[in-house]
Amino acid sequence: MKINKNFAEKINRIREAELPSRSHTRKVVFWEEDTRLLSEQGKALVFILPTRGCSWALSKSGGCSICGYVYDNPQQPDFTLILSSFQKILKNKLNKEFTYSVKIFTSGSFLDTKEVPEEFQLKMLEELSQYEVIKEVVVESRPEYIKDSLLKNISKKIDMSILEIAIGLESSSNSILMNSINKGFFWEDFEKAASKIKENGARVKAYLLFKPPFVSEYDSMRDMLLSVTKIVSLGIDTISINAISIHRGTFLSQLFEKNEYRTPWLWSLLYLCKEIKEQYPDLRLICDIVAGGNVKGAHNCGECDQHVIKVIKEFTMSQDIGVLNKEISCSCKYEWKSNLIHEKLSISEPVIQRNVL
Amino acid sequence: MRFFQPIKQIGYSRTLAETRTHFPISPGLIAINQPEITEGYAAVFDMPFPPKFDDINKIEYDLAWILPEDKMDKYHSSKFQLTEQPFYPPFADESFIVSDFENYIDRFLSSPKLDTAIFTLLISQINNPRFKEIMDTECSLYILSGLTSLFNNQRRITETLVQLREMLSPDIALYAPGPISPSLYSFLVYMGIDFFDNSFAHYVSKNGYFLTEDQVYRQSIHPKCYCPHCTGPEPNLFKHNEMVTKNTLSRIRYSIERGIFRAQVEKDVHNNVSFAAALKRVDTHFNENLRRRTPMISSSPVRCIGEESFDRPLITEFRERVRERYKPDPNSNLVILLPCSARKPYSFSRTHKFFHKAMRNAGKGVFKSLTELIITSPLSVVPHELEDIYPVKYYDIPVSGEWSEKEIKVTAELLNNVLSHFPKDTVIVNHTHGGGYEDIVEKIRTTSSFDIRNTAKDASPTSEKSLQQLTDTLIEIQQTKEKDEQKGISSKVRKIQAVADFEYGLGSGEILFPYSVRIKGKYPRDQHIYLDKEHIATYVTRSGYLSLFPKYANLILSKTENILEFGAERVSGSNIYAPGVVYANKRIQPNDEIFIVHENQIIATATALVSGSDMNKMTSGIVAEVKKKVRSKK
Ligand code: SF4
Ligand SMILES: [Zn+2]
Repeated sequence: MKINKNFAEKINRIREAELPSRSHTRKVVFWEEDTRLLSEQGKALVFILPTRGCSWALSKSGGCSICGYVYDNPQQPDFTLILSSFQKILKNKLNKEFTYSVKIFTSGSFLDTKEVPEEFQLKMLEELSQYEVIKEVVVESRPEYIKDSLLKNISKKIDMSILEIAIGLESSSNSILMNSINKGFFWEDFEKAASKIKENGARVKAYLLFKPPFVSEYDSMRDMLLSVTKIVSLGIDTISINAISIHRGTFLSQLFEKNEYRTPWLWSLLYLCKEIKEQYPDLRLICDIVAGGNVKGAHNCGECDQHVIKVIKEFTMSQDIGVLNKEISCSCKYEWKSNLIHEKLSISEPVIQRNVL
Repeated sequence: MRFFQPIKQIGYSRTLAETRTHFPISPGLIAINQPEITEGYAAVFDMPFPPKFDDINKIEYDLAWILPEDKMDKYHSSKFQLTEQPFYPPFADESFIVSDFENYIDRFLSSPKLDTAIFTLLISQINNPRFKEIMDTECSLYILSGLTSLFNNQRRITETLVQLREMLSPDIALYAPGPISPSLYSFLVYMGIDFFDNSFAHYVSKNGYFLTEDQVYRQSIHPKCYCPHCTGPEPNLFKHNEMVTKNTLSRIRYSIERGIFRAQVEKDVHNNVSFAAALKRVDTHFNENLRRRTPMISSSPVRCIGEESFDRPLITEFRERVRERYKPDPNSNLVILLPCSARKPYSFSRTHKFFHKAMRNAGKGVFKSLTELIITSPLSVVPHELEDIYPVKYYDIPVSGEWSEKEIKVTAELLNNVLSHFPKDTVIVNHTHGGGYEDIVEKIRTTSSFDIRNTAKDASPTSEKSLQQLTDTLIEIQQTKEKDEQKGISSKVRKIQAVADFEYGLGSGEILFPYSVRIKGKYPRDQHIYLDKEHIATYVTRSGYLSLFPKYANLILSKTENILEFGAERVSGSNIYAPGVVYANKRIQPNDEIFIVHENQIIATATALVSGSDMNKMTSGIVAEVKKKVRSKK
């Protein structure tokens, strides 16, 4: 079993209580942003497709403890509508002067045929291959949907070398996957999926999750380093470290509200970028911070937050380690250190100010 | 063999020493990583921060004890290891925490060296039956995870810590990690926490905290500090806070060593409202647990602070023993109630000299039938025979003269109890004056039928008028009483009988010291007690208690509870070790003179190091120090 039964049950109860509040937006959401392409900076055109949402989150196992994306998905997707707006947006937005990465997100798995019928998967990818300016296409999927047959069909529609399949691995530790995230798959599943992707000529990107519940920040830092090492050894060259942010209606948000979880420190992320980039200079290392500077996202003391966030962004864009080498000082670094060691010794119990003074 | 040896105990607080060298370590401070100077730290964690690629496979963190170098070769060990921990923290759901914790126990039990392995105890799992398996091992140090989450729940924190300490052997140390204000240390130490760490000193940000030993200030406004870390060209807040943290623990170690720790706790709990409430709660609900662990034989000053002092275990134990173990001279049918004096013993004070003179003026015969009871806060009722014992000779109260409702109630109850041992026709002369005393005597009047006469109702007890009234009243009483020709008891013998009852158990005094004993030696020197030219006991002036020769002590074997059943027929060496203990009586308190018994024969006397129930829990180390042994018959 790749799940911890009692833990999954608890998550599922929270999920079931929360699911009726799902939204009913059926519009394709999109935006444009700066991004890091393989070897240059460029534009990203990001789509969020209103599919029915992640099958894992909708299953009896309750989905991941940290994820509330499913609440933003409608119950009845309309793929004809999705496809036509997708085509329209591409036509209007792509500008010949830039190079693009097109990211198709569904708040689930694009390659899950229950979520996005194969027919539509193929049509959308085919559409993208019409545009010269698109240098990279990114879709996301859980490992179980990455099947040889599907990849073969896809390869008939799009040049596999521009396709990047991102997998939310979160951690290479099966114990964290099972006992903290309720991911439902193990490292070995990721390994297999990654090699299938590569055999079919596409690229793999791994998402890692910094500081899942019940893992002290110190141990999560170690887990990030260990996971990066393992991922790199598979020949994967793009890793995105995602700092946790609190999604409503999740197991994690309940912990957070009870003061039993502190979102990670920006210092830790800054340090991780530097330590990892130093060790693996050729790795494309992305550090994604949602709700940075906010108590629900990675944050420091409040004074130095924006500065640290800016540096991390700059690094993500430029991949230049020099950006990280400039010393940033703030006396909350001491607090960071004592917090992390306390959490480590007491197994992820956060420091609550009113308790200790 | 465990790493720690308890060498002092007051309540749940202990001084723990390294077991082979007896070098004292706790209560102590742990550095979360290598400090600039290790002086003042008990141990240092070797935890790389932040973790590097080189550390990803590290699964063992060393905790190195700071011990003097010159005895390096003697230590049991100098390093502990923190290896694995449970996956789920104490606040995780019961439904998934239990099996995880039990798996952790299995993994932990298979570690190669348990005596130096650090166990992580989840505060929510102390009732897990499998935790007992850990307590039975040599594991000597537990990290207590989840304690700070109980800090604002005074009921849960007291109940949890009491329960834990009742389960754990005193040679198991508890470490509360994380930033905890030093102003809370003394209460936590009193409740059995042995180690803290310096993360509070690290817990400083731009608007950081400035510590003094009793308070936390915002860095922006705080009292000026003249320590070298604050006055130099580059003030260093961390170093200042680190120093305060160290000093706080040093002060705690000092007051445990000196036997004055409880007074410090009473003072320190006022730094934090919920901890003041917590102490009250412990005193109310778990007073006996603390009493059994509080030394009665001592010569440390007893400084009473305020309300909390009234329920101080030492004081409640005194009252308890007066209630259970004090029986007045059977010939006495005249009781005189007196106020206390600042100077101790009472009879050395000016006021009590006046009283005695006034009594003498009523004729020497008056002393034959008279018992003096001193009414005093917070001890309540002190029979004159016990005026030289600890804590009577050593206590000090802030003079206010005010009696609280509770004091009046408790004192009246105890007085009633003491008076119930006297014959019905006993006359009580009340030579006290003022509100609180009046209320107490009034309660006696309503609950008993004694003839009570007031001799200081209108004026202070030391006034000419009251003293004269005392003399006159005593003369009058004597005239009405039948003359009985019984020989009065020597007051010296009467006194050692009362002390023996108080120290060893009711009935011991009469058996040990018939009137034919001879007492040699003059105050303030120790007094030697002889029976038929044989030295049978010594009365130790400093503490006011007795010390018996083991052979002679056999006489009171059925009366006393100060008994440790020993597994061998001879005691070798100068200590009693835990493995030799078959059973220690739960009434044994630290510092008590105890009798080492094998097959119903006392084979030695010893001084208890810890309480009887704690002796039973220990599996290694010293539980008592031998005083005298019976010479073995060849
Ligand atoms: S994290 Fe990914 S796999 Fe997990 S529930 Fe959310 S969308 Fe599904
Ligand atoms: Zn800061």
